[in-house]
Amino acid sequence: MMHPMQILQAALNGQPAPRIPIFCNLLDQGARELGMSQAEYYSRGEHVACGQLAMRDRYGYDNLWSLFYVGREAELLGCQEILFADDGTPNVADYFLRTAADIEQFTIPDDITRHPLWQEIAHCLAILRREARGRFPICAYLTASTTLPALLMGMDKWLELALTGPFTLRDQLLAKCSDFFRKQIAAYRAAGADVLLYSTPFGAASFVGMRRFRQFSLPWMQRDLAPGGIDGVVYYCGTAPFNAVIPEVMQQLGITAHYLSPQDDLAVAKSIIGARGLTCGVIDDIQMIAWSPQQTRQEVARLCRIGMVGGHFLLGTGVMPLAVPEANIRAYLEAAFTYGAWS
Amino acid sequence: MFHSFIKAYNDAVFDTDRESALQVIDKARAHGHSPEEIIFQLVIPAVEEMMDTLSEDPDANLAQHFMTAQIAAEVSEKMLAQFSRPPATVGRVVIGTARGDLHSLGKRIVTGCLKTMMVEVLDLGVNVPAEQFVTQAIAFDAQVIAISAMMVHTANGPEGCRKVRQLLRDQQLEHRFRLVVGGAPYRFDEQLFQQVGADAWAADGVSAGKVILNCIRELQP
Ligand code: B12
Repeated sequence: MMHPMQILQAALNGQPAPRIPIFCNLLDQGARELGMSQAEYYSRGEHVACGQLAMRDRYGYDNLWSLFYVGREAELLGCQEILFADDGTPNVADYFLRTAADIEQFTIPDDITRHPLWQEIAHCLAILRREARGRFPICAYLTASTTLPALLMGMDKWLELALTGPFTLRDQLLAKCSDFFRKQIAAYRAAGADVLLYSTPFGAASFVGMRRFRQFSLPWMQRDLAPGGIDGVVYYCGTAPFNAVIPEVMQQLGITAHYLSPQDDLAVAKSIIGARGLTCGVIDDIQMIAWSPQQTRQEVARLCRIGMVGGHFLLGTGVMPLAVPEANIRAYLEAAFTYGAWS
Repeated sequence: MFHSFIKAYNDAVFDTDRESALQVIDKARAHGHSPEEIIFQLVIPAVEEMMDTLSEDPDANLAQHFMTAQIAAEVSEKMLAQFSRPPATVGRVVIGTARGDLHSLGKRIVTGCLKTMMVEVLDLGVNVPAEQFVTQAIAFDAQVIAISAMMVHTANGPEGCRKVRQLLRDQQLEHRFRLVVGGAPYRFDEQLFQQVGADAWAADGVSAGKVILNCIRELQP
């Protein structure tokens, strides 16, 4: 019998397998599973690893997450406050780059792996690796240089700086964020992450338009990825739609695996990516809050019908909200195993 | 004459080119047009045209929405300071992000558009308790309470729009205010706004201006 890692490899390479890979991103649900507050849960790598392993055991999907929450990257760089909510996702509450001088003086630590918060991530990864024994793909989440400033200074201030300058200040900040990205991706690789989700909303034409994508986003993405290469890297725009840029991402960056937005036209993405890479179709898990299990199943069937043509397909979710009912998580997975089977 | 300025200005905004947009305004000033003319005959029609274009264009992007609001707000502020008499306002709106939510970009874009349309906006900031939306709306004599939320638990949870609706109901204020919401979760699930008790929603900052303006007009015939 093939294990999930082999099933993922088969989907990437277009080889036979019993079914498509099935991802499910249940992050904050881990705290609920362990009966902890989010603040407590996320304080220790051990908790996150146990939570992730428990969620995977309970539902039987393929992937394991080493991500705590996205704001953790900001904490590695100086953010002092995260707002935890027991009914939703953690949020950066301290945008510590407030002035031009802050940006100028801001430095990236030489060795990010010495940060105590990184050590919790490393600890989590070590447990996941030990338990997964190569059978389950371990995912890591990395924010691209062009998006990371949103977490350090707030999205509105960042968009203003990105679009209207001063451009030397902007580029100074981007170079620092890109340096951080390079260190972080190397650290994740060294710690044993298999799937590196490259989170790059500013790499979507729906964010910046095609012209800025080419002139602004692409060169920075090239810089982010240059030293380490693209092995294991999956392109993801935070669920912002990005079909329009896929051809150039494949050509210019060489990334062949794409984790789409539910708002992307899956058939179009498939026709672009085809057998040259992996199309990851994503269910709209915000609608899953209100859908019936029947509606959830129908949507999985639709995604599989379109996505499985010609193989090279994975099915996944966004950051599944805590409000998605258990019955719909079950329905998603049952349907994915049913309709995702290659019979 | 003005039409060519509107077109040049809109082309620049569409292209998210702030410098060129501001040059058009300077040129119009140099041609002897008053600040009042520039606002009422150039900037407002241009923003209205932009609202139609961007809300119908499937390839419209966030940068365009941001720059439309940003440039228009910048020009308006500059011109309003030079008005011979303070302009009449179209209506009043209080805006903030829902309790627990610190995402301020959507709110900023919406605010920029509204200010340009001569709507008075009171920005309550981020992470705003439901009670504060209501007390401030009363104090400001607003027609619209606008709530921005980017995460599911703040858009759909008990402390955001749902609670504001409940407070309005309890205090018998529902006839006085319209409740308008926006943010990513409402775009993913287009029925969500009704479930949380809002009167209207908008998918982007530019159409938000339009939707809010309609709500104001409903209450002030
Ligand atoms: C860019 C992005 C990011 C960036 C930047 C975040 C930031 N600080 O702003 C990064 C990659 C860092 C990120 C991180 C996270 N994100 Co995020 N992110 C996005 C993305 C792709 C776009 C959001 C955005 O900035 N849009 C631009 C703004 C302007 O759009 P907007 O807020 O929707 O506003 C527009 C309209 O909605 C409208 N509008 C807004 N307000 C109002 C108000 C009124 C009254 C009206 C009428 C209209 C209106 O006009 C605005 C302008 O056009 C969305 C997905 C998507 N497709 O939208 C996910 C999304 C919002 N993120 C999500 C999540 C979960 C997160 C994290 C919490 C993940 C995690 N577990 O850590 C973190 C939180 C980070 C933090 N702040 O601490 C989820 C939220 C749903 C949920 N599950 O709760 C989404 C929907 C993705 C998903 N489907 O899973 N994210």
